[in-house]
Parts: sequence; C-alpha cells; structure tokens
Amino acid sequence: MRRAACILFAVVISATPSAQSSPDISGFWELSFDSRRVPAASLLPAVTPAVLAKRTEHDAHAIRWCNFLGLPMAMDSPRPINIRQGRREIVINFETVATPRHLYFRPSHPNMEIFDPTTNGDSIARWEGDTLIVDTIGFDGGKGVTMIPGGGYRTSDSHLIERFRLLNDALLSVTSTWQDAKVFRTPHTYEFRYVRAPRLYEAQPPLACNPFDEQRAAFLSPSATGGR
Amino acid sequence: MENSNCKSCETPSNRAFAFCILHFALHAKPPILGVLLLLTLATTLAAQRQSAAPAPGTAAVPDLEGGWVRIDIDGSGSFNGLAAKFPRAVLTPAAQAAVAEQGKRAAQPRFDFARDPSKPRPAGEGYVVTDGNCSLPGGVEPNSAAFHVVQSRDQVLIVRENPGLPRTIYMDGRAHPDLSRLTPTAVGHSTGRYDAGTLVVETIGLAQGNVTAGGWRTPETRLTERYRVSSDGRRLTTTYTWEDAKIYVKPHTYQIVAERTPPGSWAFESWCDSSDPSQRLSIVPPAQKE
Repeated sequence: MRRAACILFAVVISATPSAQSSPDISGFWELSFDSRRVPAASLLPAVTPAVLAKRTEHDAHAIRWCNFLGLPMAMDSPRPINIRQGRREIVINFETVATPRHLYFRPSHPNMEIFDPTTNGDSIARWEGDTLIVDTIGFDGGKGVTMIPGGGYRTSDSHLIERFRLLNDALLSVTSTWQDAKVFRTPHTYEFRYVRAPRLYEAQPPLACNPFDEQRAAFLSPSATGGR
Repeated sequence: MENSNCKSCETPSNRAFAFCILHFALHAKPPILGVLLLLTLATTLAAQRQSAAPAPGTAAVPDLEGGWVRIDIDGSGSFNGLAAKFPRAVLTPAAQAAVAEQGKRAAQPRFDFARDPSKPRPAGEGYVVTDGNCSLPGGVEPNSAAFHVVQSRDQVLIVRENPGLPRTIYMDGRAHPDLSRLTPTAVGHSTGRYDAGTLVVETIGLAQGNVTAGGWRTPETRLTERYRVSSDGRRLTTTYTWEDAKIYVKPHTYQIVAERTPPGSWAFESWCDSSDPSQRLSIVPPAQKE
C-alpha cells in the first residue's frame, strides 16, 4: 500500500506541467577543478609569440590595476557566479572585479555605430529547445583581461557564441565558441561545466582588489608598471 | 497516525513541511488516510511548482524588470537638492553625537595627497577628487547611473552601471543570518516578498554610516524598502523607512523616484582605470587667455 501511494505521489507530481516552457538556469554556479575542457586554439600565423607576449603584458597590467576583467575571464571565476533569469533578460553577476553581464532576450544587437564597446560586449539570447544561445559582439579589445582559454585573445572584432544547457539540475554546461578573423584560423570552442552551489548559498562581497596595495603589486609581477 | 521524530517538521520551510506530511502519510493508519494525505500533498506541490516563478506585471507582482534611472521629480536641481526636501531624520541624542563625529571626520582631507580644494589650480593642474580606486562600495540607493532589476524565481537582483555592490534580494523565504555571522557592507543582507503589487525588501547588516536626510545607520538598523511601479509602468517609486530604536525617535522615511529606460536600451559600462592618473581628477583647468 505504501509503495502504491509513493508511486501515485510521483505520478501526480511528474504529470503536472511546469509553468515555464524554457528551462530556468537561475542559481549560483561554481567551477570545480575538473570543470574545464579546453583544447588548444588554432591561431593565425599573424598571432606571433611577440603579439601574444604583448597581450600577456597588457593583461598583467589590467590585473595589476584591478581593471574590470570582462569576458572571457569573468566567466572563469574562483567564486560562484550568480545567474538570474528574468522575462526580458538574464543577468550574470560576479564576485570578482567584473561588471555584470546582461543577456537580453532580443532578436538583434543595437546599432554598433552608437554602441560604446565594453569588456563584456552586447549579448542577445534566445532559447533553442533546452539550450540558451547567447550571441555577443561589441567588445572592447583594449580593456580588461583579454586572453582566451586555449589561446588567442579578445579583440574589438571578436564574436562569441555561448550555449548554456542544464545537464541536470545541479550541472550547467556552457560551451563558448570564439570567432575572430584577426586571431583564429578556425572557430575556437571550449566547455565549462558549472556545479550548482548549495541552495542556501549567500552572495559574498566581491574579492577585494586594491590597486594601491604595494605588496600585492610586487607579488604580481616584477614587470608591473607604476601607471601609464 | 504514528508520530515520530520528524526533524523536518521543526524547520519552517515549504520543503520541510512537505517532507513532514510525507512522513506522516507513509506511517498513517489506516493506510487509506495516508493515500489521501499524499494526494493532497502532491496537488499542493504541483500548484506551488506552477506558481514558483511569479509572473511580473500582475496585480500581485510588480513588473520591475529592466533599467531605471533616478530622476529629479520637482526640479530640485540635484540629488542633494532633492534630499533637502525630505523630512529630516529625528535622532536620539546618541545618534546625534555619532553623526556629529562623522561630520568632523568628513571635514578632514580624505586622501594623503589631497590638497586644499578651495585654492584655484593653475592651468594644467587638475583638482583631485578621488583616490583613484575604482572599487566603490555602492549602496542601497541609486545615484545618477542607471540601475537594472531582474526578477527571477527566488531572487531579485539589482545591479548598477557604475562600480558598486549588487543588491541580492532573497525571495525564497530565508531569514537574515545572525549579525554575528554577517560582514557589514554598503548593501547589507536583504530579503523580500511581494505584497499586493509591491516589492517589500527588508535589509540589515549595513555598514555604519550616514543615511539620506540626516540619518544614521549601524548593522543593527533595519531598512524597509517598498518598490511600487506606476500604473503605466514607467515610474518606480521606492519608499525607504529606517528603523532603529537606538538611533531614530521615529521611523525615518522618504521616497526616491526612478524612470524606466527606453525599450531596447542597454546597460552601459562605467569604465574606471586606477592606473590612469586622470581618474583622480575632476577638472583640469585650461590655459586662460589674457
């Protein structure tokens, strides 16, 4: 009798349609030590070691001075990221030195002629079945940390397509594909898998970053500059 | 019905309540009573599932989502001008002393390199206005930059366009943590609920400091905000009420109004670079013609 009651209970629950037709990826999500699958990028010949060294130096400066990280580094956070899904947009907030991402449920990007490029770019999103497709352009290639996992770097011409998909209630896959005719020979794709943080996780103040902490500056790099 | 030591019954949450009912149902005598209980529970949970994501824009849940910019509703000329028209906080003697002490500290130069701001600068030498640190604390009230609201199933998130902590407002029924486990910040710890078309937010754990219109706050101070959208959806009025028996003789209340950003607009990024010396300056006087 008890077994029958349990089965009945499960049937009634599972037969009830969900209120939302699309998945809800809201939650605090964190990366673990085994969360990254990043192949090596196929770079254009023009991306020479000297070019990469210059980019590395640029990024070191950005880190040294606590600049907004921007994409893709913001998504590679040592802390849980807060994804909140609304009706018109999804906001992703970070507990690092990064501005929030806004993923707008809109069919098109704004006119790039009047769009001020940013470290996170302009993101528009749509659902394709159970997958959220996020299309981002409008990057500022000169601000923030630009290096891309697997090789290459973000420029003002970069185009990022991300595919967010819940593998189960506790695991979120985000596949990122970067395209940039100045950097990549072929589109560069990698996947991060985020683990859902405990339900009662409390958002923490962002990791502190004090650009005027001399000890920190000395630690970061012997080549850290004292300002532009 | 068999009772038992159902630990979840001691926890005031929906999920715990459900497990509690389930526990009783599985141990019910006669068993048919258990089946009835289970059916009731399943129907209830199913209904909750359907209503888990509130539908903003209904009579019960205001549509707050999107970008908002604080406005000067009566031509006060500045936000300070607006605040001057708010009812002044009526403080206890102890709070008056704290505010006076804070006023003395504020009168001191804020930065080691700060110079007398009353002296005119020569051409090419800027006025230092900040220490160049981009990590602004933000706060519970909006400033001149737009703020953006997203309403998800169990949280309302408010983020700014300029640097500053986001407002994380928990809508899942959780309580505030004990203050002993909370690091006070400029935004504190907020929980919220919808009440007849109004978002009501309760906040504690705010870092000690000034409050608009002569107020004061400590981590123990309770702030209640009531967010209400106009019938045409274009204006958002937030009523702030500060309560703390150690600080206020009576609750300190005022309102701030914001206007919705146009459809199709997007969030700006307020870039700030501490390595740029001009980041510290407001105005660099140009050379003057004789």
